[in-house]
Amino acid sequence: MKRERSKKYFWLQRLRILTQAGFFLIFFILFLKTHYPGEDYLKTTVERFFHFDPLLFLTASIASRAIYAALLLSLITLAATLLLGRFVCGWLCPLGSVHQFFSFIFKKARVLKPRKDDQASLAPKYLVLLAVVAASLFAVNLVGYLDPLSFLYRSFAVFISPLVNFGLAQSGNLAYWLGLKSLGQGISQAAGNLALNGVFQNALLIGGLFLLVILLNARKERFWCRYLCPAGALLGLASRFNLFKLKIDPEKCINCHLCSIHCQTNARPYPAGEWRSSECIYCETCAAICPTAAISFPLGWKAEKMQGVDLNRRRVLLTSITGLVLAPIFKISPLRRRSNPALIRPPGALPEPEFLGRCVKCGECMKVCPTNALHPALTEAGPEGVWTPVLVPRIGYCEYYCSLCTQVCPTGAIRELTVEEKVTVKIGTAWVDKTRCLPYALGKPCIVCEEHCPVSPKAIQLVKVDTLTPEGVVATNLAPFVNVDTCIGCGICENKCVVMDLPAIRVSSIGEHRSAHNRLVLPVVEEQGESKP
Amino acid sequence: MERRDFLKNLVVGGLALKFAPGVLAQSAGPELAVVEGESPAAITREAIKVLGGMSRFISRGDKVLIKPNIGWDRTPEMAACTNPEVVAALVAMSLEAGAKEVVVMDHTINQPKRCYARSGIQDAARAAGAKVLFTDEQRLKKMTLKGEWLKEWEVFQDFVEADKLINVPIAKVHSLSRVTLGLKNWLGAVGGNRNQLHQKIDQAVVDLGAFFKPTLTVLDAYRVLFRNGPQGGRVSDTRLQKTVVAGVDPVAVDAYGATFFELKPQELAFLKLAQSRGLGKFELEKVRIEKRAV
Repeated sequence: MKRERSKKYFWLQRLRILTQAGFFLIFFILFLKTHYPGEDYLKTTVERFFHFDPLLFLTASIASRAIYAALLLSLITLAATLLLGRFVCGWLCPLGSVHQFFSFIFKKARVLKPRKDDQASLAPKYLVLLAVVAASLFAVNLVGYLDPLSFLYRSFAVFISPLVNFGLAQSGNLAYWLGLKSLGQGISQAAGNLALNGVFQNALLIGGLFLLVILLNARKERFWCRYLCPAGALLGLASRFNLFKLKIDPEKCINCHLCSIHCQTNARPYPAGEWRSSECIYCETCAAICPTAAISFPLGWKAEKMQGVDLNRRRVLLTSITGLVLAPIFKISPLRRRSNPALIRPPGALPEPEFLGRCVKCGECMKVCPTNALHPALTEAGPEGVWTPVLVPRIGYCEYYCSLCTQVCPTGAIRELTVEEKVTVKIGTAWVDKTRCLPYALGKPCIVCEEHCPVSPKAIQLVKVDTLTPEGVVATNLAPFVNVDTCIGCGICENKCVVMDLPAIRVSSIGEHRSAHNRLVLPVVEEQGESKP
Repeated sequence: MERRDFLKNLVVGGLALKFAPGVLAQSAGPELAVVEGESPAAITREAIKVLGGMSRFISRGDKVLIKPNIGWDRTPEMAACTNPEVVAALVAMSLEAGAKEVVVMDHTINQPKRCYARSGIQDAARAAGAKVLFTDEQRLKKMTLKGEWLKEWEVFQDFVEADKLINVPIAKVHSLSRVTLGLKNWLGAVGGNRNQLHQKIDQAVVDLGAFFKPTLTVLDAYRVLFRNGPQGGRVSDTRLQKTVVAGVDPVAVDAYGATFFELKPQELAFLKLAQSRGLGKFELEKVRIEKRAV
């Protein structure tokens, strides 16, 4: 018999790779564009990818008991999957493409040797999905940890971006050292325009997980997509008709197993009749690799039955119950009674319970922040809030006229604000530490915090303070006094304070507008009955 | 430079040379130009003309560095940063005088890209032909300043390598040094923990002023900030003064700038220090001032 591979599927496979590269590129360009563009408002919806993610729609809506309109776009993804199967995973998902790229590399390097007849269960990802959805029923939003888009974006924002920034600075340094002044200048100006953030707390943890997940591809092709991805699982459940159905021509098949060995998701194209349509991501590898062109995907209208995934009733029930039982554990933190002073949320953040219901920990706000002020939380926001954004004034402050973080949140956890609205939002209050402040403690002049206070009239006022020095001299200096009514908690005072290790003026979350109980001073009711904020 | 201006200068210059000894003509000219008018660009041009034209300061082939105040993420009507039209006029004049390259830069306090964009200086200076560059940490070098207080500090090399330096501050109030004018503007040319300089601010600005020695200081007082300095925040914190003060003597320029805030130059400690360091004179009655309106 004549042995010849299918030309058609060879080209279809190339087209798929091209599409993957294209979508990854769009994802990356949108990532880079998530920065201050030189004007107050971003023209591009840089967070658009997230709106097409039905997993985020499902879990964030249930957890927050509210529907965020932009996420309705994900119904398109769902409808397409219903008809065509999980092509999104194979053709469009940027994290899927990253995994496939590394699987390919590991295969070429012979680190990954796919086995024939792999019996490993593909069920874990469905159980992850079940647990996440079950938790959201109890208003706990855990989707951000393993949602593929959140996972990839967060890793890029918190881990890859600082690495690139560091690389740029060092290559600039090298260029100057080699006497290539214009090259060094070019690099530094490009870096200035890209405005990549250079440091993040928990970067090692988030980056380490990203590397680990990539290394898993050395064990199994697309390990993440096969076993872990809850979004893939949701699309697997949604795939029903799979209009293009795999067909093996028994006349041509030589039973070589190549298709099954190289199937990216172990969807078992071979033997005939065992194809798991809900696992197939339409990468076209099987049809392209078949030495006799025995595999094709003809159109067929019959609905496919989900098969081959050992999701028996007992496991489904057990996982759902586990999810429901685990959910309250995330909710019983003392932070529900008392606000954490260090938990300073970006301006526009919803009240904490709603915020936690919606935030998917994607890192968009952390990427766009021009001063590197927003960081993934570790313990600040309780177990539920790991990797949610927290403002760390010692690293960066909230730029007065900037509302960028409110413009990029894909789920509305941070409400979109105009610049005019944003400058009125209080996110915390600054407190002077008189034991460390130069005029108070040392009798030395310093008005740096007052100088930087962006509010007009300044929220940091100056008062004359006498400090008795050991020499018996009274040093009189101007010293800061915070007006708690006008202070917005932007944190520039803490950021610029000359006491570098533990600044002498620090912002805590008290007085934040979004909270009704984390309040400091009750509004004063004046005689005329007017209330003053 | 336009041909007609060139010919005019040639004729005027020729006459001046013929009828007066050159050195005398130079020293008898005004030391401080104070020009008032509606257009920031026009009063800047006029002020430089009063001082003898840009070609007196810039030679053909010079690399010029113009240092405005771009410190804050504030739009021009807040008067926190130098007026972009003033900067652009100086860029254009430097190029007309034959400068090979004009760079505009400042070490900002708020996020650099935001300051450059929202101050309007980046666009205006670029349109006038300047290279507008962010300061680059890699270009910081610890240098001996030989100051009274600042012995050494990290300085951006761009400011040291330029052939000519033009300082273009804006007139604002400041709660420690009372006003921030030309001398204090040099805080934007250095790196390190600049905020520590506030512990002895008057000495610090004089030490920096003595180190940088600009060719020319052009004080933008088109819109001055008289309240809530040095960044204001409301248009009502500013006042239209519609004036530019230019001069070679940085101390005299600052001394004149103080008068916009109803301050006598002798009330400002840094001006006294600067004069005793030989940087210039603050006693305005001893300065030849020419005032014009356009």
